[in-house]
Amino acid sequence: MIRKGKGIGCMWYPIGFTVAANPSAATVKVNEDGTATLLTGTVETGQGSLTVLGQIAAEELGISTEDVHVVSADTDATPMDTGAIASRTTYVTGNAIKLAAEKAKEILFEVAAPMLNVKPSQLEAADRKVQVKGFPQRFLPIDEVALQAQFVQGQPPIGSASYNPPTVDMDPETGQGKPFSTYVYATQIAEVEVDDETGDVNVTYMAAAHDCGTAINPMLVEGQIQGGISMGIGFALQEEMLFDEKGVQINPNLTNYIMPTSLDMPDIDVDIVENFDPTGPFGAKGVGEPTAVPTAAAICNAIYDAVGVRITSLPATAEKVLALIKEKNEKDIKQLSPAE
Amino acid sequence: MDVELIINGEEKTASIPPETTLLKLLREEFYLTGAKTGCDVGDCGACTVLVDGEAVNSCLMLAGQLQGRSVETIEGLANLEDFHPLQKNFEDLGSLQCGFCGPGMILSAKQLLEENPEPTKQEIQDAIAGNLCRCTGYTKIVEAVADAAKEMREEP
Ligand code: FES
Ligand code: FES
Repeated sequence: MIRKGKGIGCMWYPIGFTVAANPSAATVKVNEDGTATLLTGTVETGQGSLTVLGQIAAEELGISTEDVHVVSADTDATPMDTGAIASRTTYVTGNAIKLAAEKAKEILFEVAAPMLNVKPSQLEAADRKVQVKGFPQRFLPIDEVALQAQFVQGQPPIGSASYNPPTVDMDPETGQGKPFSTYVYATQIAEVEVDDETGDVNVTYMAAAHDCGTAINPMLVEGQIQGGISMGIGFALQEEMLFDEKGVQINPNLTNYIMPTSLDMPDIDVDIVENFDPTGPFGAKGVGEPTAVPTAAAICNAIYDAVGVRITSLPATAEKVLALIKEKNEKDIKQLSPAE
Repeated sequence: MDVELIINGEEKTASIPPETTLLKLLREEFYLTGAKTGCDVGDCGACTVLVDGEAVNSCLMLAGQLQGRSVETIEGLANLEDFHPLQKNFEDLGSLQCGFCGPGMILSAKQLLEENPEPTKQEIQDAIAGNLCRCTGYTKIVEAVADAAKEMREEP
């Protein structure tokens, strides 16, 4: 018989390394045509980080994302970055880029201030312009300011900066400290159907609410969460490396190392919980690894809700679930039978 | 051995050892590297191309079987002006991440839409079930195929 169940999984997850240094550095230069070039050592693997990093530079400089040319991951030419790991790119690299863009912007403001008869602190950058705060009709196009800075003032608008998340080492006596600069939070709810005669588990629905700070690019955040859920489903129900006694993997192919296909995916509702982290670039934190974390827990809790058995080792294969159901049924029968 | 075939509408010939797979022929003789070598044993779908309109794992087909037949690869989909509606919708929705599964995914979807212009979600999931994706969870891929189907129905 098919039995239905629901389960919840909650998590927090840290951004960046545990106490250890994990800096990012960046250089931003504003060109005389009003575009900007961003140099970053981090690498794009498809998650869209270079888009998000370009958006951060663009927002700081008041230009459009298309105006930002991102040069990345070339150790000959780009500044150091710890890497696309530890869910740290948006937060750590993003902070470095925001600081670098801010420095380039300060040069633009210094140059534009006397041209607009105001102090640099009275200026802001928006819509490809340097404009007076509160009086946006008093402005100079950013390309004009960059040209002036470069060729008249001899002050090319370039900024370089680095960022290393501030942490406090843990006290060996008390265990107290601040191992990470920020954390993300999420809750997911799974609905499953369990066949109590075969142990087969089918995930039919997943709701995923994630607080990743400001979602700089909601479409990419959604993509990360959906991808993380598929990895979590594989982790919960299918994926397992099996080794023989000599340590050789006995399931090295995708026919016997099973991972989710399109048919294993449930309907997913993603809820991006808007939150502003004052330490992040424009309030952003991160969204990479955490998306895979609560999925298996939610599924296992849903299995318990459906058939009353606790999964204590993953993956919850049909064999494992069926064995637990049988064990439980035997116990239940023993309890029911009258004392001899 | 010699083989004559049509690739993306152009007649081609190649002289190849008989054990050459279609995937090897495409990638190494004609430098069409859109079809990817994932597993090379028929498990992942990254090498999917269309042979006479039908999606096949090109790592499992011998090039010798292609004599006189017509092959379509991802390189044949877009022209200089326009993406194919599938490619455009994949791009608009951010359906791919690393992109390794993309060429195969799109060609499996293309066969589906040619045979079934109005597929249900389940039919889309069935059509791409042989194309593994490690990154995306398939959600935005299925949505993009549905959107492309709609677009192609409206302006054929
Ligand atoms: S490379 Fe052909 S199916 Fe994997
Ligand atoms: S996008 Fe990476 S495998 Fe599909």
